[in-house]
Amino acid sequence: MEKLLVPTICKVDKVIQETPDIRTYRLKFREEGLMEKFTFLPGQFVEFSLLGSGECTFCIASSATRKGYFDCSIKKAGVVTADIQNSIEEGDEVGIRGPFGNWFPLDDIKGKNLLFVGGGIGLAPLRSLIQYCIDNRSDYKDFTILYGARTSADLCYKDEIKEWQDNKSLKIMLTIDKPEDTWKDNVGVVPKILEEVVKPVIENTKVITCGPPIMIKYTIQSLIKLGFADKDIITTLEMKMQCGLGKCGRCNIGSTYVCKDGPVFTNEQLKMLPDEF
Amino acid sequence: MNFSTFVTDKAGLHKFYEDIMASHETFAPVEKFGKFDFKKVTSLSECDPESPIAKTLSIKPLFFPRSAKVMKYVATSSGTDVSETDEDHLAGNRVILGVKHCDARSLQVLDKVYNWDYIDTDYQKRRENTVIVSTRCDKAETHCFCTSLDYDVENLDALDVVVVNGTEGKIYIKARTEKGETFISGMNIDNRLSKNEWRKADDKTAGEIKTQYESFAGSFRLKMDYKEVNEKLSKIFDTPEFENVSGNCISCNTCAFVCPTCHCFKISDEKVKDTGVRYKSYDSCNNGYFTLMAGGHNPRPVKYRRWRQRAMHKFVYYKERFGVNLCVGCGKCTISCPVNISIFEVVNQVSAASMQE
Repeated sequence: MEKLLVPTICKVDKVIQETPDIRTYRLKFREEGLMEKFTFLPGQFVEFSLLGSGECTFCIASSATRKGYFDCSIKKAGVVTADIQNSIEEGDEVGIRGPFGNWFPLDDIKGKNLLFVGGGIGLAPLRSLIQYCIDNRSDYKDFTILYGARTSADLCYKDEIKEWQDNKSLKIMLTIDKPEDTWKDNVGVVPKILEEVVKPVIENTKVITCGPPIMIKYTIQSLIKLGFADKDIITTLEMKMQCGLGKCGRCNIGSTYVCKDGPVFTNEQLKMLPDEF
Repeated sequence: MNFSTFVTDKAGLHKFYEDIMASHETFAPVEKFGKFDFKKVTSLSECDPESPIAKTLSIKPLFFPRSAKVMKYVATSSGTDVSETDEDHLAGNRVILGVKHCDARSLQVLDKVYNWDYIDTDYQKRRENTVIVSTRCDKAETHCFCTSLDYDVENLDALDVVVVNGTEGKIYIKARTEKGETFISGMNIDNRLSKNEWRKADDKTAGEIKTQYESFAGSFRLKMDYKEVNEKLSKIFDTPEFENVSGNCISCNTCAFVCPTCHCFKISDEKVKDTGVRYKSYDSCNNGYFTLMAGGHNPRPVKYRRWRQRAMHKFVYYKERFGVNLCVGCGKCTISCPVNISIFEVVNQVSAASMQE
């Protein structure tokens, strides 16, 4: 086990300040040839080490269809994430283990309408799948993204969102919680906009959602109200994890290991779990 | 397969142990401050393979160390150097003497979690390279309930060699696995001891071993129906009884640290200037911070929920996932608990409350 816990060194290729408290770290393996061997699918996560400070779990925020690097978007939320933001600069080295966990059900969503519903930093895991689906655009029908944040400054991936907005095959809807002078898009929390503005087609649609736990909860309630089946609502869970290997016992919900059986679950699966996440 | 049984006496048994220590890397219970911990030994004078169960720590650390270095690293001007740490000092061929049956069983329980999906090769190597010699208890202690759980204590195959005290000073040594059979025959003990001191068992021996077991099995004060507990607990996630049973807990985590089946761990870094070490150390679901996430969200923010997790993991979740209870009935948690909480009492009390609801 000890050997499985030793990370591999990555170099920070680029640091992007997304919002006042979120940065994206673009990573490449230090050792030549390792990057090509690092295969992952949208929804998987890594254990990210700032050596000396500790190890944290982050989803991979980019898609393997974009070759030569992978992204982790990190919000300042606790001790290690604050250390990461305070100390890591371009050219620095970090430790990575992974990829771990399951991935979004790529076979199930093929040929379907896709509706992504994201909130705040919750767009990070969705972005991996969004990029993957854009890069295989002909495999999917309608492609809608609803993304919200508390304020316009808190919206992640602003440059990429512009690219998405320019892409005529995608429908992008943005919202912020409270009005701002220069804001011309929607105002209101994500579930409200989902119900009142997006009004999604139910038939043949898969919804993929992620955001703060409270947003996920109300979004799922709205989706059910709109008529979506539990099996068509897909989310990815945030739980405390450490080993990523189904051993350390931290991420258990009942007999489920979120690090192995998840982090991606359908609402049908979530309903089977004890209410403790 | 029919494994061999030998008859000897105390002197023969001690000769057997001394021979093992002379020819193998051997671990056995060593007394310190009135408590016995499994240490490397070279002679019987250093240890006591018949150490009292209530004062003996588990063998878990010989397979899953209490705190192990994962790696060392040095930050240099040219980058970070990571080195895997010292050679595994638990990986050699070895024998453990004086293992209690409950403790031996715990390895079969731990095998399940270590060998699913990602195989823990360090653990597996330590398992494969170890011969377990276990002395069967003659009498249950007040906290013991191994015979109430989901394993056959009498015919346990988690141990390779079993030592049973017979009548009139006779001692039976029986191989329980092929590994144990090969081990005993490889010791060639009959070359050094006379026929009187060490001989193959006769027809009566099996009956005498059975009699010893029956006397042992009859000495238990604690008895429970584990199937009933499994079933009832699985249906009562929301019972307030968990608050009642956990009220006195001071969240010291001792129960988890002494438990032979608890296997939760944490990964932590210690760094001074440019040099750091990463450790993998025991942790416990009773810790308030165990599931606390950056940002403050905690699925188990209060004590009774953490106790519920402990009880449910042991008697519901692990069983669902891996087919066995995550408890071997050794009572180590109960003996060590500073506020006298017993897992036996907890699961029975909660199950009983569920009946009244």
